[in-house]
Amino acid sequence: MAAIGVHFGYTCACVAIFKDGRADVVANDAGDRVTPAVVAYRATEQIVGIAAKQGRIRNANNTVVKVKQILGRSFDDPEAEAHKAESKCPVVNKGDLPKYEIDTGETTKYVSPDEVAKLVFHKMKETAQSALGSDVADAVITVPFEFGENQKNALRKAAEDAGFKVLRLIHEPTAAVLAYGIGQDSPSGKSHVLVYKLGGTSLSVTALEVNSGMYRVLATNTDHSTGGESFTHALAQHLAAEFKKSFKQDVTGNARAMMKLMNSADGAKHILSTLSSANCFVDSLHDGMDFECNVSRARFELICSSLFNKSIKPIKSLLEQVSLSTSDVNKVVLCGGSAKIPRLQQMIKELFPEVELLSSIAPDEVIPVGAALQAGILVGKDSLPMGEDSITIDCCDKDILVKEVDESGEELLNVLIPSGTPLPARRQHTLQGPGNLTSVCLDLYQAQQRLALIVLRDLEPKEENHDIDTVITMKRDGSLHVTCTELLSGRSESVTIAAAAAAAS
Amino acid sequence: MLKEALDGQVTVVYNAIAVSIQIQVEPVGRWFEAFLKRRNRNVSASFQELEEEEEESEESEDEEFQLEEYPLLKTLDPKDWKNQDHYAVLGLAHMRWKATQKQIKAAHKAMVLKHHPDKRKAAGEQIIEGDNDYFTCITKAIETLSDPVRRRAFDSVDPTFENTVPSKTEAKENFFPSFTAVFDRNARWSIKKHVPKLGGSDATFEEVDNFYSFWYNFDSWREFSYLDEEEKEKAECRDERRWIEKQNRASRAQRKKEEMNRIRGLVDTAYSLDPRIKRFKDEEKARKESEKKAKVEAKKREQEEKDKARQAELDAARLAKEKEEEEAKQAALLVKKEKDVQKKAIKKERQKLRTTCKNCNYFASNEMDSVKMLEEVEKLCDRLELVSLQALNEVLGAGNKDESKAALEKQVQEVNTRIQRERDAEVQAQQAARAAEQASAGGGAESRSWNQEDLQLLIKAVNLFPAGTNARWEVIANYMNLHSSSSHKRTAKDVINKAKNLQKLDPHQKEEINKKAFEKFKKEHTCAATEVDNAVPSERFDTPADSSATPWTTEEQKLLEQALKTFPVSTAERWEKIAGAVPGRNKKDCMRRYKELVEMVKAKKAAQEQTAGKTKK
Repeated sequence: MAAIGVHFGYTCACVAIFKDGRADVVANDAGDRVTPAVVAYRATEQIVGIAAKQGRIRNANNTVVKVKQILGRSFDDPEAEAHKAESKCPVVNKGDLPKYEIDTGETTKYVSPDEVAKLVFHKMKETAQSALGSDVADAVITVPFEFGENQKNALRKAAEDAGFKVLRLIHEPTAAVLAYGIGQDSPSGKSHVLVYKLGGTSLSVTALEVNSGMYRVLATNTDHSTGGESFTHALAQHLAAEFKKSFKQDVTGNARAMMKLMNSADGAKHILSTLSSANCFVDSLHDGMDFECNVSRARFELICSSLFNKSIKPIKSLLEQVSLSTSDVNKVVLCGGSAKIPRLQQMIKELFPEVELLSSIAPDEVIPVGAALQAGILVGKDSLPMGEDSITIDCCDKDILVKEVDESGEELLNVLIPSGTPLPARRQHTLQGPGNLTSVCLDLYQAQQRLALIVLRDLEPKEENHDIDTVITMKRDGSLHVTCTELLSGRSESVTIAAAAAAAS
Repeated sequence: MLKEALDGQVTVVYNAIAVSIQIQVEPVGRWFEAFLKRRNRNVSASFQELEEEEEESEESEDEEFQLEEYPLLKTLDPKDWKNQDHYAVLGLAHMRWKATQKQIKAAHKAMVLKHHPDKRKAAGEQIIEGDNDYFTCITKAIETLSDPVRRRAFDSVDPTFENTVPSKTEAKENFFPSFTAVFDRNARWSIKKHVPKLGGSDATFEEVDNFYSFWYNFDSWREFSYLDEEEKEKAECRDERRWIEKQNRASRAQRKKEEMNRIRGLVDTAYSLDPRIKRFKDEEKARKESEKKAKVEAKKREQEEKDKARQAELDAARLAKEKEEEEAKQAALLVKKEKDVQKKAIKKERQKLRTTCKNCNYFASNEMDSVKMLEEVEKLCDRLELVSLQALNEVLGAGNKDESKAALEKQVQEVNTRIQRERDAEVQAQQAARAAEQASAGGGAESRSWNQEDLQLLIKAVNLFPAGTNARWEVIANYMNLHSSSSHKRTAKDVINKAKNLQKLDPHQKEEINKKAFEKFKKEHTCAATEVDNAVPSERFDTPADSSATPWTTEEQKLLEQALKTFPVSTAERWEKIAGAVPGRNKKDCMRRYKELVEMVKAKKAAQEQTAGKTKK
């Protein structure tokens, strides 16, 4: 049974299909794997995707872009102000809800953002269907971490209106982590993952803790002022300056020319992620004058150097926020189209010298792939009636440690159950004691506090090490039960440590 | 590497562990789902343990399975494999269609281990070469049973399955035992799982309904491809294959139909015999009847209540009315009594006054004065209140003649002035009314005086111009204006209003009007006659305001004149006698009439003298 994952971003939407145990992004009818989330209204039709984006030069007033910024918000929402100011398509107030004013020749239509979103979702559904050759409805949709309840509901409703059966809404960063299957192999172990997402209009950095296969967001940092468009804009400004230099004409005042330049800069930017130089060519940019310019990657990096710095900055502040050092981070996941920029990747790599930078899946496709994987997990199962998109579980508060000595005789603490492990938990460790001893002791600690001591005596000395099978069970309230068995003799000891509240009562 | 335990160290707990904390996790990944599942099932053990347990239980099931020795295996004819019982061949006769794939596989394995030709050869047994060995049967059995489609086909025609359906007569006695077994047996063909049970006699309506609706819509997987006479694989060419297929399809459909009929028949029989259905039907009927009854009763009760309420209301109204009437009667009686008392008193006083006056010969010297005084006294009697009459009588009774006369005259004067005043007031009022009438000339018809003639004329006009006449009311108004003797000009509106008013009047009143009109007509004619006769018009002068007496007819006039003549002034009780001679008139009327006549004659005389004087001059 096939299921799909949909990423509906500010600038682009992308759909991935889960089929036969694999998740893969599918290309739309234009052959692109990513569809611009642009909807153009014409007299009789609505166009979604690249055609709408290209047609925007001529039809800016009837073309809706970045609808996600205003989706599920009221008209006077401060978050929606920027969108209203920026949108070429007039936004009007209809009963406290924002509506786009679409001029279709003789009549004026008012279109709500929900309807626009619905069209985009519909396009994604069509794309998935044409790739699968069959109808598909089960879908997992991704939402940004900062989305509120209203926005989530609006997004879910738009998807449902488009014919999807929304299995679940999941957060974008967790979808990205899931796409790489981090922590999915075994239900134990703990690691920290940093998700770096540089999308079209926003930059978000998220720190996650993966523990026992469960993801937990430690902190997130979103900057709506930085994004791929900032780079394009910077490049377009550069191109305008070049044009002025060669033709002594200022095009910055000409909106249509600037839009053309933006489109050209966008293409050049994409090329520069793979090639070292790109050609910009715009026919009849201004007063019938053609414009041609060659931009090298070095030039691009120079133009955007301040932007790069700005893009990197949130990582450090985020790590400070969750008090982790760069070495504590085990993996870095890149997502968002602009994370493809080589210079950016290099800078992140410099920041985390020992860490693996995950970019094997194209960064702009990571999120839908993760969503599709989740859809694959959920599809066909009795979906749990979950209203909330994240749930609260009991976790182990602090590390459970055992004191051991290494070869040099120095004492060290080994983690038996890491903090944040979901409860109830059961862990089995095989600890080893020197074979020449007749007794061993397990000294259990929780963080710095000594918990208990387990002593095994009358062991038979032998050549090899003693194997002590230790089973640690932690109940939901936090109480701990430890059973140690010496495998050879079968001698065992067990101890139960009550949780503090239980002990007090 | 663990440390060595020191001497004296024992297993001990030092501190309590920190309580677990609550953390929000993202709802993604398979481990999250596993966790949720575990939590929802409320399983405290960890997930892995659970899975292990499940596996273990499955394995133990396998071990429980035991093979049955089947000595008749060797008697089977390998060529006739189609008629063999595949389950029995594999030693699964006791499980049959309930056997799992796993059990079938295990049984086959055991059989092969035991009966494989190679094994038997090694054991020194005689083997028939080729397909004629009974081992072929085992192979065929596993071939059939391991393939779900073929197994289903075989199961469908399971030779041990009892197709019989209990007939009506034999199941009538013990419905539940016989049918429970049959339904349980046939439930195995159901595609749907969880076949509802027949249940006992105390099953609820829902259960029974559910049971029968299930069985009436029974969806069976039973099919009869196993009984195909021709095997498709044996066909040599396509046409033959098609023909075989057609044949097979027909026979299968036939059998399927039979099967469906069988099930249908079974359910029909059960339904018709089911004591519960009968009970439910009876109950339903009883319920409906009782409902109907209750409805009727409720209606009846309602009606009764309504009636009662109405009756009570009526009673109350009647009682109230009666009481009111009674009260009114009492009051009236009281008033009457009082009035009577007063009347008596007044009468007495009047009598007293009259007698005193009479005794004193009306304080007059001559006949003329005495008549005048008599009149005045009568006026006093009429006019004076009880108190003043008493006072007057006292004065008259106490004082001497002169004083009495003075007091009487004073009273007479007072009364006369009062009458004069009243008359003036009345004249004024009349004048005012006339002025008001003229002022509101265009106003409603009510303000206009409609005299009898006009009314008569109106009625005539209305009858003359019936409804539907063009501009009817204008025409009527014009007609009225043309023919009316009165000076009023009447508009259509006035006419309409009056006509409407007339219509509103009840027929009795109308009649009265008509009668009045007739009377008047008659009177007018007679009046004209009397005028000519004795020039005493009855209506030339305004009657006094307080007099509501009807005008004097000529006959009455004649009678009066006659009486006046027959009873001279000296006659005792003269006026009573006069009144007695004129029927329909009392003493007072007669006196008044007489006075009027005297006045009239006087006036006439005065006028004559005046004219005579004028001519003399």
